[in-house]
Amino acid sequence: MGEEEKDKDKDKVKAKKDKAPPKDAILIEQLPNLATPNDAATSTTITKPPSLRIVPPLNFCPVERRLYRSGQPSAINHSFLEQLNLKSIIWLAIEDPQDNFLRFIDENNINFFYNLGYDSIDSNSWDGLSESSIKQALEVIADEKNHPLLVCCGMGRHRTGTVIGCLRKLQGWNLASVSEEYRRFTGVRGGRILVELLIEAFDVGTIQIDKEVAPDWLIR
Amino acid sequence: MDENDEIFDFEQAYDEEFTNESHLLSDELIINHNDNYSNQVINKVMKNSLIPTKDTEPQQEQQHQEQQQQQEEEIVIDEDDEDQYDKFIPTDSEKIKKYKKDQEYLITVSKKPPTLLTPPENFSPVCGLIYRSSFPRIENFEFLLKLKLKSIICLIPEEYPPENIEFLNKNNINFYQIGLSGNKEPFVKIKPNLVNEALKILTNPENHPILIHCNRGKHRTGCIVGCIRKLQKWSLSMIFDEYRKFAYPKERPLDQQFIEMFDDSEIQNLAFENNWLPLKW
Repeated sequence: MGEEEKDKDKDKVKAKKDKAPPKDAILIEQLPNLATPNDAATSTTITKPPSLRIVPPLNFCPVERRLYRSGQPSAINHSFLEQLNLKSIIWLAIEDPQDNFLRFIDENNINFFYNLGYDSIDSNSWDGLSESSIKQALEVIADEKNHPLLVCCGMGRHRTGTVIGCLRKLQGWNLASVSEEYRRFTGVRGGRILVELLIEAFDVGTIQIDKEVAPDWLIR
Repeated sequence: MDENDEIFDFEQAYDEEFTNESHLLSDELIINHNDNYSNQVINKVMKNSLIPTKDTEPQQEQQHQEQQQQQEEEIVIDEDDEDQYDKFIPTDSEKIKKYKKDQEYLITVSKKPPTLLTPPENFSPVCGLIYRSSFPRIENFEFLLKLKLKSIICLIPEEYPPENIEFLNKNNINFYQIGLSGNKEPFVKIKPNLVNEALKILTNPENHPILIHCNRGKHRTGCIVGCIRKLQKWSLSMIFDEYRKFAYPKERPLDQQFIEMFDDSEIQNLAFENNWLPLKW
């Protein structure tokens, strides 16, 4: 008898797992239950930001005029992103972006540059970006046709930091200032020396800037 | 994998702390048990230091006074540390002389060698054509020229140094100074009406591109930028996150409180009138 009940329970758990919500969803069950007990125990996704305030994505910051950086936006950030009138997005992570982010890109007719970080089947998420990936990303940035532009990866720390760091170098910043900016976005665990070595070793001379299509803050 | 290495052993840490505390407790107990002994010790100490009795010689008294003075001075220095951190320290005069010579040389040679740009510490765009940074020094001037600034707001009460004024005049940059004293526990506080003044200037598109700076670009600038984010209707958590990013490692809870409590209704109306809101990034 007891075993049968256990089996039933297992089935229930399985059914719940099958109905699993998207990764970024905030489950009602997980929130502290302040109001009356929730009858509809099924999960719902919160898509509206709290009390009319907008929520920028994690690690969001303007880099230059009409160029922004951030971590992966979730559903709660969409109303904020709409304000930016984005024309393109560069995705630097190896992992695929979440479905609702892809849907957002689709609905707003945004050019999506992806697979930049994906160099071969062997590449891992903790590997640094390759020189060719950085180059591709910088070439997209150097064309004003693609602006307003958002550069993002999973957390907006290391991969985004690498590309923005190389951009700063291209703009003629000294390395100490580049590193200061990079570390501002890396959180408590600090910056990775590997990323800084990558920025330092990156040969800016290989990037050709077409003055006719480049944004004016890039022209020296 | 570095992740495994960095896992913090809470249980062990807790145990260590606990045993340390229990040590302390046991020490106290011992003292309490040997009351007589401890009284004797206290008496000795009193005689030796605190109460100048008839037995002590005048020389000793002087020594005591000197010691006390020294102690007081040390304490004052401690308090100054936090003050000093926010205080503006002028650039070395010889450095400025050399800079001026270089400038003259550049005019005569006309073509300057390519140099690396040095942005001021904590430099970042805020939104649109508003920028933030720490106090710009002579080495940052070349970088600032690239921004084609129309105005600069300075938030420190100290006098603006002559080399910066010269830079402003040369490049036709409007200068506004609003002397804020930073939020310091427990008595010094940022005055909301001054912040209102600063925000009025900042949200007026006629002044853009505009740079806002204090000394470190952390606290006072952070408060003002926080208020701008509030005008943009950012959620408070993300405003605080940004504030902490720039103020690290000297975040001040009072500053975050200020941002939260600041009443921006007046500025909001003004910003709409000036067509700065709703915001066009």
